[in-house]
Amino acid sequence: MHIVVCVKQIIDPEIPSAEFRIDFEARRAVEGQSKQVLNPYDGNALEVALQLKDRHEETNVTVMTVGPESDQKVLRHALAMGCDDAIWLKDDGFDNLDSHGTAQVLARGIQKAGLPDIVLCGRQAGDWDMGQVGLRIGEALGITCVSLAYNIEYDDGRLRLRRETDRGAEIVEAGLPLLATITNDQSNQPRYSTVKGIMAAKRKEIPIWSAQELELDRDAIEPVVVVDELVVPSYERQVMFIDGQDGSEKAIQLAEHLIKMNLFT
Amino acid sequence: MSGILIYTSIIEGAVSTPTKEVSGMARAIAAKTGDSVAAALVGSEVTDLASELIASGVDQVYICDDVKLGEFCANLYLQALEVIVEKAAPRIVLIPGEATGADLAPRLAQRIKGGLVTDCIDYEISGDAVIYTKPVYGSKALARIRITTPISLVTVRPRTQEVYPPEADRSGETTRLEAALDSMAPDTTIMERMEEEVLECSLEEANVVVSGGRGLQNAEAFEQLRQLAGLLNGAVGATRVAVDQALVPPSCQIGLTGKIVAPDLYFAIGLSGASQHIAGMSGSKYIVAINSDEEAPIFDISNVGVVEDFRNVLPVLIAELKKHLSKS
Repeated sequence: MHIVVCVKQIIDPEIPSAEFRIDFEARRAVEGQSKQVLNPYDGNALEVALQLKDRHEETNVTVMTVGPESDQKVLRHALAMGCDDAIWLKDDGFDNLDSHGTAQVLARGIQKAGLPDIVLCGRQAGDWDMGQVGLRIGEALGITCVSLAYNIEYDDGRLRLRRETDRGAEIVEAGLPLLATITNDQSNQPRYSTVKGIMAAKRKEIPIWSAQELELDRDAIEPVVVVDELVVPSYERQVMFIDGQDGSEKAIQLAEHLIKMNLFT
Repeated sequence: MSGILIYTSIIEGAVSTPTKEVSGMARAIAAKTGDSVAAALVGSEVTDLASELIASGVDQVYICDDVKLGEFCANLYLQALEVIVEKAAPRIVLIPGEATGADLAPRLAQRIKGGLVTDCIDYEISGDAVIYTKPVYGSKALARIRITTPISLVTVRPRTQEVYPPEADRSGETTRLEAALDSMAPDTTIMERMEEEVLECSLEEANVVVSGGRGLQNAEAFEQLRQLAGLLNGAVGATRVAVDQALVPPSCQIGLTGKIVAPDLYFAIGLSGASQHIAGMSGSKYIVAINSDEEAPIFDISNVGVVEDFRNVLPVLIAELKKHLSKS
């Protein structure tokens, strides 16, 4: 079985709002104090792929990303987790891709690598939260798509996917090839890399494919959306702290306050 | 291309509220741009819903009613939608941002070569163009985005738009369309559906929500939250971390990729207040935070704060409120 996992390196989505900075001119967040990390949902996608590899012999997991110089770090990270190969799609023309452009580049990269049995993507990236690259890739490749899956089992050429719905969950059976977008669940928390994995990942050669090698037209990756403005909203309120010697006293004070505010009707 | 097309999501045989909100948004845009408002009605035995759509502000309903469309299946629904889009030739497609919409929109956008903005919460009109606002960077920022393709697609976050006040005698047209539905093309079968257990009241409807996060550490601690919620006829919510630690089921998750709530009273217990969580609850009328870390960002967006381990607070708080409620 061949699995391709598409990943993205993003500014740490966990950084507190107080440390979050924007370059208003460039209309994007700046790294500042924060660090670049693997998009968390892509970590869940890698884990789903590696669990399939654990259970099924002769499974190859290839990780792929599109992005600038610093993005190589997420590929090494994915290799250290246990991926077999990495492919880096890199070109000056890829610097300002929107979701549509990113999907076209990745779809072409996947085709060049040879259409795999399974393509996995995180449900959305924790920077722009667009949630459309994965499904656009599936459409561009013309394969079956399942969104918001969190667990995948393979048996005799068929897949069973557990997926989230508005009202709970469902189990879907599907054939190959298939693209799934992956959401977080306790069953797919990304594994840690081993020392052996990290050493092997350092030595691994990562092929770089440019727009020319992917035979991609500039027109095909022109932006279809333009960010006019980026602003920082404020949700701040004036907080009143409850005093007290200990927890019980504070609890009594809090109860009195809430009752006085007439919050229970 | 002209006009606005909305997608109708159907829940338990009725037009969903988010659909009516999207219709209201379409009417508000149309009032300034002069666009017509059409709806795509896709499903099995759904034709009767057309009048409800017309009353909700739609001028023209395109119906694709087929027994094959009984269960939601994205691949079949997309085939129907493509036929409708070709006929209606809209310049804007508005889609309610429920799970089905989030599933359909990117694929439809790729098929009909349109730019897509997801999770839109607001918009402004400049001339004929519409600029959409969406939260980005885990809701730490808002982006205003323009779509440059001739056809643009937008998914709209539920409960951000006003519904169009229903007018029973509003007139509109209906057009039935046939789609050659190729049920072989999508190679997926739904084997089993697991609906979440319906709790005393659903999270989105609850007037009181009691949420816990990383600080709770075990499922037993959530029992205390359930007690408080039960006492106040409220519902229990959680952060993504608590869901990942399997302390509560995913259906409890509040935030950017969970449920969006705006109750009268919100208890944030043992949670630090990551922006992704705040995105799902900042609209609450009154917020109470209990956290042992006085630096926790949750206090910045709360009305009342208690700096204390929640274990030392909740039992007494529950007892005190019980006393009060039994009196009244």
